[in-house]
Amino acid sequence: MKRARGGGDEEGPRQNGSAGRRKGDQQQSDGDDGDSAFGPADLQDDDNDPGLRREIRSKYRDLINSVQQNREDMLSPSNNKLTEVLEQANKLFKDVRQAREAALDAQLLVVATDLGKEKASQLFAEGTAFDPTAFAEHLLSFMGLNRLEDGEEEQNGGAVDGYLPQDAWHRVARRAECCFRTAPSFHYMMGSFHAEPPPPKQKTERQRKAPSKEAKRIMPTQLKKMEESHQEATEKEVERILGYLKSYYQDDPTSPISYYEFVIDPSSFSRTVENIFHTSFLIRDGLARMYLDSAKLPCIAPVEEGEVEAGGSCSRKQCIISISPKMWKELIDAFDIRDTMIQPPNTE
Amino acid sequence: MTQRKRLSATQSSSQSRRQTGSLLAQEEDDDSTFTQPSSTQVQRGLEKLTPAQVDQKTAEVVQYFLVKDQKKIPIRRADLVKHVVKEYRNIYPEIMKRAVRIFDQVFGLKLVEIDTKNHMYILVNKLETVEGASPINSPTNPKMGLLFVILSVIFMKGGVVRENLIWNTLKKLRVDPAEKHEEFGDVKRVVTDEFVRQRYLEYVRIPHTEPPEHEFRWGQRADMEVSKAKILEFMGQLHEQDPQSWSQQYREAHSTPSSTQASTSSQR
Amino acid sequence: MSSVTIHCFEFLKKYRCLLYSPIDCKYRVPSAAPHVDLLQVAVIHPTLQTTGSLKRAEEGRGGGNSRKARSVSDELSRDMSQQMGDSHRRFLQTMMANGIVDEQGARALYQHCCETHSTQCTPDKLDDFIDTINSRLQPMFMQIRKGMSEDNGQQYYALVNMAETNVTRMSSDYADNELELFRKTMDLIVGSENGKASSTDILNSTDTMTAKKLKKSETEHLLNRFVNDKWLNEKRGEYTLSTRCIIEMEPYIRAMYQDQVKVCHICRNIAFQCQICENPACGIKIHNPCVARYFKGRSEPRCPACDDFWPHEIPEVRRPQSRSRR
Repeated sequence: MKRARGGGDEEGPRQNGSAGRRKGDQQQSDGDDGDSAFGPADLQDDDNDPGLRREIRSKYRDLINSVQQNREDMLSPSNNKLTEVLEQANKLFKDVRQAREAALDAQLLVVATDLGKEKASQLFAEGTAFDPTAFAEHLLSFMGLNRLEDGEEEQNGGAVDGYLPQDAWHRVARRAECCFRTAPSFHYMMGSFHAEPPPPKQKTERQRKAPSKEAKRIMPTQLKKMEESHQEATEKEVERILGYLKSYYQDDPTSPISYYEFVIDPSSFSRTVENIFHTSFLIRDGLARMYLDSAKLPCIAPVEEGEVEAGGSCSRKQCIISISPKMWKELIDAFDIRDTMIQPPNTE
Repeated sequence: MTQRKRLSATQSSSQSRRQTGSLLAQEEDDDSTFTQPSSTQVQRGLEKLTPAQVDQKTAEVVQYFLVKDQKKIPIRRADLVKHVVKEYRNIYPEIMKRAVRIFDQVFGLKLVEIDTKNHMYILVNKLETVEGASPINSPTNPKMGLLFVILSVIFMKGGVVRENLIWNTLKKLRVDPAEKHEEFGDVKRVVTDEFVRQRYLEYVRIPHTEPPEHEFRWGQRADMEVSKAKILEFMGQLHEQDPQSWSQQYREAHSTPSSTQASTSSQR
Repeated sequence: MSSVTIHCFEFLKKYRCLLYSPIDCKYRVPSAAPHVDLLQVAVIHPTLQTTGSLKRAEEGRGGGNSRKARSVSDELSRDMSQQMGDSHRRFLQTMMANGIVDEQGARALYQHCCETHSTQCTPDKLDDFIDTINSRLQPMFMQIRKGMSEDNGQQYYALVNMAETNVTRMSSDYADNELELFRKTMDLIVGSENGKASSTDILNSTDTMTAKKLKKSETEHLLNRFVNDKWLNEKRGEYTLSTRCIIEMEPYIRAMYQDQVKVCHICRNIAFQCQICENPACGIKIHNPCVARYFKGRSEPRCPACDDFWPHEIPEVRRPQSRSRR
């Protein structure tokens, strides 16, 4: 793996390089890319072709990169990739004329030597060499990898396809336990915060609200996560509802739009829930605002184009509301809602 | 281990501390002003205190170690003196002696000073794990699985590896340090910051590398807590191979005197 | 009672920080005379220190009534003489790693620890074994405490912290605002009629936080963590305090929520999931599992306090299912 090269070459260009670079900065600032360097001794036509110089440097960089990126593969005793790299470098070296190229060559050589050293130590080490790739393979099996039957997946850079079970890392952790002498740690809740009594409660109110079984059922207690895949559909629907809101508002900007009248579909409870859900995005994004009218009933209005920015800066309040079929019916009666203001999407 | 490496390890860990520089400097000051009292000073200090007072301070120190060990980050003597020992600093050695005894006798744990220069302590288990025999399945932390894999690779590769090898191995195990992992979150942060601060790993820049490259070694906590022989045993199982066939690793695993690991004996 | 009180008083003087000291007594029994405070606290004290022993005595286990009479200091001096071995240490370590273990698990663990370290194991001496550990944990204000699950009526052992000090507040499991949310959740649960808080209410309670506000999504994530760490239970969107939480927080809840906390008429422990006598003049509470045990085999259930008809459905007594080694 030795490379033949003139003893003086190595030092020579480097010195030229630093001198040359300084010169280059002063004299050649209008050069091709500002980084071409001329050594005083290198003034032959061929050697001054900036394109060729750049190409050589770029090839060196690629080579260095490939060594650094594929270090583990190159270390494997089963291939000759390191030799191949060095042969390529030898070819490149024939055209090296300038200091910067020589510097890159030297850098490559450092990297390659380092690799060669490790490879050699591997070859001469007694016993089996540790192969991280094989280790990862075995570990995947240990973690319970469900391998895909498909044989052609092998092309994927030699990596095995398939998916790991949920508890894959727990399995490793469980197995590792006996290798560790970790002290168990002590966790507690009591004493981790300043003791503080609860805020005073209006006792009377609490007692008045003796829970009947129906009352308990009214509250929706759990908020289910929205599925990611529905996100686009949601966005469309939100825009559609904004359209309705704007057109009602434009019909008569002076009369307030009752929130409940807007969202409630008297023919469908589930549509009502969907409307409430989608309308909440308008509020969140500052496209609509809610306020209480003189009778303390919630109203909704679109936010004017110009207002949008200002609305974003004012403090936002979050609130979670609930609705049950019973409440829905009561609201329909109370507001005397006969028609839905938001037509279902597919009947348009 | 060279001084340079140690130094950079402490630097990187102190840089990542949440404290501001000035606060940190102040703490360091605290430690430098704290000089270990002589045995006669301790004797005189003890005479002025009731046994109950000393017991209570000891209990507080034990409690402090337990609380701080929740995150597995070594406990600095400077912090201990500042937050707990306080005006009892003149009998500090006596309190530590008693705390060590309580950990030994009550908890089966060993209080170890892992860094004698910066005075840092960790707790290590003295009881041997009985494989798979406990009727109670304690909850597992998947991060320990991740750590185990990294420590195994470092050990099997002779004690030091370039970071790329670790990242490539993890990628093969479906953990991409560039992506957010559902169990580990920011993998790179867990490995190069959390594990390093816990002193399971050392993560040091290799000199003269551009762009900078780093290498991993075992940290002092790993040296105290982790059994190389047992890792090798697992390797044997995994590869269906005799652990002795990795002869260098085998020699190292079995040459480490067991005394550096916490032993089960306890003075009673 | 008086002897216990006096002993507790002695103990109190020694470990004052254990109790909420009069200096910052915002939540203490409101009273003009400080000595009354001390007495009040001292009365709470035995449950705080020896819940296990007292409960055992009441259940008629653990060697009969003599234990009940035994004073705290007697017990301490007796246990101090017992040395811990590796089997105790292993047991304690498993308690640290798990936080809470059911009674059967604890028995199996006791046996396992004794076998591992070749020490003698007397199956019905589990509570003595634990007392030995507790006597050595006492100075650190830690304890393995026994309590009942409100869900299934089974006994559990939990490793608990007993004091709030400058050191215990350094705990890093949760951030300050996360702890505030936990306290708010506790406020909601203790203040509720049925011992539950809905996720909707908890999420909305973040609006009144004084520490850095949690986003709704962060709160959801945090609630999951509380459940994973065994501080809360969740069922169909409703949160309850876990058995571990009730065992550890019992003295705290009694002290902080004096006028809200419900106490079971049968076992005298605090109660969340319980039935309430509908006689407005009576209104006693009984844990669901205590109801099951108390009314078992009675054809016409009557309130143990006012003798009115007990109108609630009587749940079945749940037998701990036999479990094999996991």
